[in-house]
Amino acid sequence: MFFAGLDVGSTMTKIVIRKDSGDYLSIIKPTGAEHRRFVDKVMTEALYKAKLSFEQIDYIVATGYGRVNVPFADTQLSEITCHMKGVNWLYPSVRTIIDIGGQDSKGIKVKNGKTNSFVMNDKCAAGTGRFLEVMAELLGMKLEEIGEMALRSGNPVAISKMCTVFARQEVLLRLSDGAALEDILAGLHQALAARIFSMVSKIGIEREVVLTGGGAKNAGLVKFLEERLGFSVQKPDEPLLTGALGASLAAQEIAQKAVADGAMPKQKNHTLTPASFFEEMPSVN
Amino acid sequence: MQKSSGLERASYIYTNRLQVARELKMQGEKFGGYLCCYVPVEMLSAAGYVPFRIIGDMNEPITNADAYLPSVMCPFYRSCLDLGLKGKYDFLDGLVSPHACDAAERVGLVWRSYFKYPFTFYLDIPHTVHASALVFFKQQLAHLRKGLEEYTGLKITDNDLKKQIKLFNRQRELVRQLYHLRKVEPPPVSGTEVLQLAVSLMGLPVQEGNLLAEEVIKEVKTRKMKPSKMKGRVLVWGCLIDNTAITSLIEDCGLEVVMDDTAIGSRTFGHDVELTEDPLDGLALRYLEKIVCPRTFRETGKNRANDLENRFSYLRKIVKDWHIDGIYMNLIRNCDIHGYEVPEVRYFFEEIGMPVLVIEQDYSTAALAPLRTRFQAFAESIEANR
Repeated sequence: MFFAGLDVGSTMTKIVIRKDSGDYLSIIKPTGAEHRRFVDKVMTEALYKAKLSFEQIDYIVATGYGRVNVPFADTQLSEITCHMKGVNWLYPSVRTIIDIGGQDSKGIKVKNGKTNSFVMNDKCAAGTGRFLEVMAELLGMKLEEIGEMALRSGNPVAISKMCTVFARQEVLLRLSDGAALEDILAGLHQALAARIFSMVSKIGIEREVVLTGGGAKNAGLVKFLEERLGFSVQKPDEPLLTGALGASLAAQEIAQKAVADGAMPKQKNHTLTPASFFEEMPSVN
Repeated sequence: MQKSSGLERASYIYTNRLQVARELKMQGEKFGGYLCCYVPVEMLSAAGYVPFRIIGDMNEPITNADAYLPSVMCPFYRSCLDLGLKGKYDFLDGLVSPHACDAAERVGLVWRSYFKYPFTFYLDIPHTVHASALVFFKQQLAHLRKGLEEYTGLKITDNDLKKQIKLFNRQRELVRQLYHLRKVEPPPVSGTEVLQLAVSLMGLPVQEGNLLAEEVIKEVKTRKMKPSKMKGRVLVWGCLIDNTAITSLIEDCGLEVVMDDTAIGSRTFGHDVELTEDPLDGLALRYLEKIVCPRTFRETGKNRANDLENRFSYLRKIVKDWHIDGIYMNLIRNCDIHGYEVPEVRYFFEEIGMPVLVIEQDYSTAALAPLRTRFQAFAESIEANR
């Protein structure tokens, strides 16, 4: 049997196709503004890579903020559940997951392979990948470069404001004071780490801690977060994939339970189509 | 409107609350507006007013009120004032504004300064329940009674008050009956439907409201329920929910709202007024001491464990009796009195094994979409742990 997990995030669309034997393949593409049209293309590409047809997939679970726009999915699950399942499969000893995404960040407490409690950032960009995107843009650097550069600082500049807009002003002020770029970047990463730390502290941080999402790819953020925690964290080889991986695991669970109950695993006979915009819906006439 | 009955009528009145009030006014009713559940509605009703609870509107962006109140204040009360400034409450004949919390007090002050109602009263409510506080509050109620008598030229006798107390006790008992019906699984009435009835009752003449509540109970009792596919039963704790957009969102995500500890809910309908010889004694006791809202400080216990037990054991009973699977702690942004209480209440719930979801929401239907993921994840985790 084959199962697919689709994680349509605010920045990246991730797909994992897995076999019941456990082998899986994955694909990651930027979501862009038109994810409704886009997700079926990524799925087609994933199927091509897997040398499978759409009909061969037994069950599909969609997650991520764009999960409602995957018309060919059989079930939608929240990203909290999917991240938890994915990380718990990779790291059975995980107790706390810190996920730093492009639009939100979250902390998940895991107990016995289940979500015990969770916390998400408020609706603003503070404490998310977006914060670093804005700062990289302001400093004329690539997002991939800023984490490494922050590590070169010997004297981080204190950034007091966590609001992305106000922190941006503060950075400009520090630049005009003549502060070194790496010191400003170190300050920004420290501030972000502090924000995430205090948010996740609300659910109580216990080891092992696994870091996922795009934020886990930023060496500076990982280091400052570890400093804050006082111990080291685990990172999957591809921290963007845990949500899609968890979705594919959920798909497997649901389908296999259905088979055990004597039912057809795939309840809907959808075809691989993009979600339509409202104005594109066929008119009544 | 006259044709519909029961739940359908409650839904209609909930949706068209202001219009229904205007129609009743055309038929000769007078409306006494009030803020918060701490105002004794019996008193307004005895003076010939239909007590009308002023609430906000999550669908209406706050535009006018920001010129009068700082944006760091609770958006529910800012919304109340905003609607007032936009003329939505211009059918009111008077206003009783209590010192419930700072936000209610400020809104009351601005309201009384700018809208020249023939009758307004500031009801001072102590923040403690000591014996002397009860004496003080009873005196406040006597002032309110005198103020109403002077304005209306009608005498409010003890018997008038007792009659109203009986009528409102009946109303509270009816709503509690509806709450009790939700103890079974699946509950025959949804959280959304109960909220529609609660909001309707807070704007109708008491006898009309009681008839409506009786109809609803009759209807609910005869409903045939299919086994539920919902993922869990939740108790809502917090300031208040006055818009079905929130209960519907929670219910859409697979959670049944079966009980609440909020100001438009069990804090309003939870306890009867004792029929004391001097009716003001019963009213003072019920409104000051029996309503449990963190705006009132209770000095209890010698240590923390003792304190938690004395203050929150009623919540353990609710969890048991209503077979609760999880707690949604609903905070309206900048409600400091509930915000301060969260750590202790949350701890109490977690100690009795309840999963807890805390959300500080913006009191705006436009801002609800990001909350869907949280409710969905909460429902999934409750289902997985059930």
